[in-house]
Amino acid sequence: MRSKLIILSAILVLLASVGIASARIKLVALPERAATVIRLDNPTATLIEEERVLTLQKGLNKVDFSWKGVLIDVDSIRLRVLDHPDNVTLLSVSYPPNEAALVWQISSDSDYAETVRISYLLSNIDRLVTYKAIADKAESKVDLKSYLVLRNFSGEDFERARVLLDYGEAFEQGIDHEETKQLLFLSAGEVPITKVWTFDAAKLPWDPERLENRNVGIPVSYRIVNDPDSELGKYALWGGKARLFQDDGHGSTIFLGEDVTALVPVGEKMELYIGDSRDIVVTQRKMKDARINIRKNDDGKIVLYDTDEEITAKIENFKDSAAVLTMIQHIPWQWDMAECNLEYTKKNADTLEFEITLPARTESGPAVKELKMHYNRRNVKP
Amino acid sequence: MKYSLSILFVVVIFAATATAKVDLVTLPSRDTVQLTIYNSADLTLVRESRALTLKEGTNSLQFSWENTLIDPTSLEMLPKADADKIEIAELTYPPRVRNLGLWNIDSGVSGKVPVEITYLTSGLGWRAFYMGTLSEDEETMRLQGYVRVTNNSGEDYENAQTRLIVGRVHILDEIAELARRQYPYGRPGEIVPRAEGVERAGLARAKVVAERMVSDLAATPKEIRKEGLSEYFLYTIEGTETIPTGWSKRLISFDVDEVPVVNLYKYEEHRYGSSVVRFLSFKNDQKHKLGDTPIPGGQLRVYRTVEDSGHLSYVGQSGFKYIPVGEDVELNIGPVADVVVEPRLMEFRTENYRFDNDGDISGWDEVRAFEVEVKNTREIPVKIEIRRDFDTSYWTLQKSGDYGEFEKVDAQTVKFVLGLKTRSTKKFGYVLRTYHGVRQEDWTKASR
Repeated sequence: MRSKLIILSAILVLLASVGIASARIKLVALPERAATVIRLDNPTATLIEEERVLTLQKGLNKVDFSWKGVLIDVDSIRLRVLDHPDNVTLLSVSYPPNEAALVWQISSDSDYAETVRISYLLSNIDRLVTYKAIADKAESKVDLKSYLVLRNFSGEDFERARVLLDYGEAFEQGIDHEETKQLLFLSAGEVPITKVWTFDAAKLPWDPERLENRNVGIPVSYRIVNDPDSELGKYALWGGKARLFQDDGHGSTIFLGEDVTALVPVGEKMELYIGDSRDIVVTQRKMKDARINIRKNDDGKIVLYDTDEEITAKIENFKDSAAVLTMIQHIPWQWDMAECNLEYTKKNADTLEFEITLPARTESGPAVKELKMHYNRRNVKP
Repeated sequence: MKYSLSILFVVVIFAATATAKVDLVTLPSRDTVQLTIYNSADLTLVRESRALTLKEGTNSLQFSWENTLIDPTSLEMLPKADADKIEIAELTYPPRVRNLGLWNIDSGVSGKVPVEITYLTSGLGWRAFYMGTLSEDEETMRLQGYVRVTNNSGEDYENAQTRLIVGRVHILDEIAELARRQYPYGRPGEIVPRAEGVERAGLARAKVVAERMVSDLAATPKEIRKEGLSEYFLYTIEGTETIPTGWSKRLISFDVDEVPVVNLYKYEEHRYGSSVVRFLSFKNDQKHKLGDTPIPGGQLRVYRTVEDSGHLSYVGQSGFKYIPVGEDVELNIGPVADVVVEPRLMEFRTENYRFDNDGDISGWDEVRAFEVEVKNTREIPVKIEIRRDFDTSYWTLQKSGDYGEFEKVDAQTVKFVLGLKTRSTKKFGYVLRTYHGVRQEDWTKASR
């Protein structure tokens, strides 16, 4: 093991501390590193805990802890006495100048071979999580696998360490400096999915005819719920990159797409955007936009008015299977719906959501539905 | 031939002393390989099967990919037999070695085990292109669709089952960028540049390499089987293909004769200026001898048969977008001079002035009388679509003459559709009244 962390259990004979910091004379013993824990439960920092046996003498002991080629958060270093906590006391911590080191002053009431636990935050060692899901041909469920990727660029080799995540069993793993390991840690066979097509009128072009030779893709996502019905729900699913594949019915798969998921707490949904559908076409047009109920000041200047607006959206499904399109429309500020031929849910003050069920296309052509929305915006100021 | 992917089966025999390690290496060959090539991104899914000889217990398998464009994070190996007895739970990318991965396999069986290795690579691509040949009367067209597969991956894939994906896939990182990384998953704290416009990059990527048909000795061209999967279409090329790195190959996707086409001409000043633009219009359906699958986007070159001996004249070319089954296709083949649309403003006046309390103008109408002359100088009948955009939604229109079908497109636009016989002229007129200032209020009252 190429350990760069050095601990000097020092029966410190002499400190030639005559003002020159570098001239410290140390007589040292090098205690072996015992149990080591790499704790990865915090996504932003990695905590290392290692146990060492210090040879302490009765009276005052100075223990020198130094490191080279690794990045340790100095203020995070802690020392915990395990065998004789009532008899061995940490008195002070001092930092020698211009050195990556610290010196513990420890008082002991007897001679002990004392096990201590040193913990610190170590940089450049972390973990990622990635997902791989294979959907069945009907796209009703996925075989979900999650991998833990350990990356160690800390400068330190860990020959054997207990690796702890924020859930699940700890496991033994060794990892060298500059090594990356990918471990399977979650496998769920039949996770139900919902496939979602979304047209958001604020994000996508309205009139495909006006786009020269460009298709408007309707974003397609898979929705997975992190709950027991989905063979999941034991713990939050970490954020990471997810790659989705689909069984092609010929003993092989195709790649559907990839997305990044944020952390998904238990009971919440994971939504993965896989690609765009060009077989559902939305043509949205504003058929009317006029000012009504105009109010003027004494100078005849318009100070307030309402609008009378009509929007139509033709939705065509060219697919040979049915689909449910989520259509999102936006009407800013204050408004009243005068007439709307499809049902909607108000998501917030200016967002309307329509769930539009589209049958499969027939021989005579695509399945067509049309949304007609006639509304008035109120009290608009010019 | 450059064979850069190698797989080393490493049986590690530990002698009595832990340090004396003997590596026994075998090189199982690739039994079959399947390529699934995308064209919306520089991405190919490779699936290869190999037979490993495992011993009971722990086995180490080394996989290396020097000089290729493989994304190491996509590597996966699955046993195809005794899956319950073989556990492949760990893949290590060792330190200070590039393009190398080690699988640790716990096997409950010993002997030959078929495995499947999958990964994503870049450098392979395909595109669709088309040739259209119009009949002399321009009423029908022979439409031939081709795909051209290009391999710049650095790897020769021999006898590969080749599949093409039509569809727009969402990816976060360019595979080529992932392949170039020093460390497969990067380093902690490293900000990985996110590829922008990955989908477009895929289109721009494929550099044209010397084209040569690697002819198989088959008597008929290979068929391409097409099927829908999720939002994609999967084209499977019959049999296997060998496309060495640096080569590309053209394959026929479909060949349909006598597709009925409409010669459609469009006039729309806002989009095309004062030129008439020619379109070839048909539908991707059974009536047009198509409609089995969507047609992937590509370039179409249109020719016309000019005499009995089969000579051709080049008509023009058009970019082709993805056409779902059942959708109308309109192929823009550029401006023409033999069909003419001439709108003429014959009269302009303003009226109905309104004044405010200060005596300033607060509203008025503008009245424009147009005469539109439409000429077909061709030897074939044509259909003409004329769009007029009024830049306001406060308008009324009076029509006169032979204006054919008339339709309001949206709040500001109308459309006239006329059919014209061989060498004929039509004329129609319209009077457009637009409302300005407070006159818009009168328009609103009248229209309610």
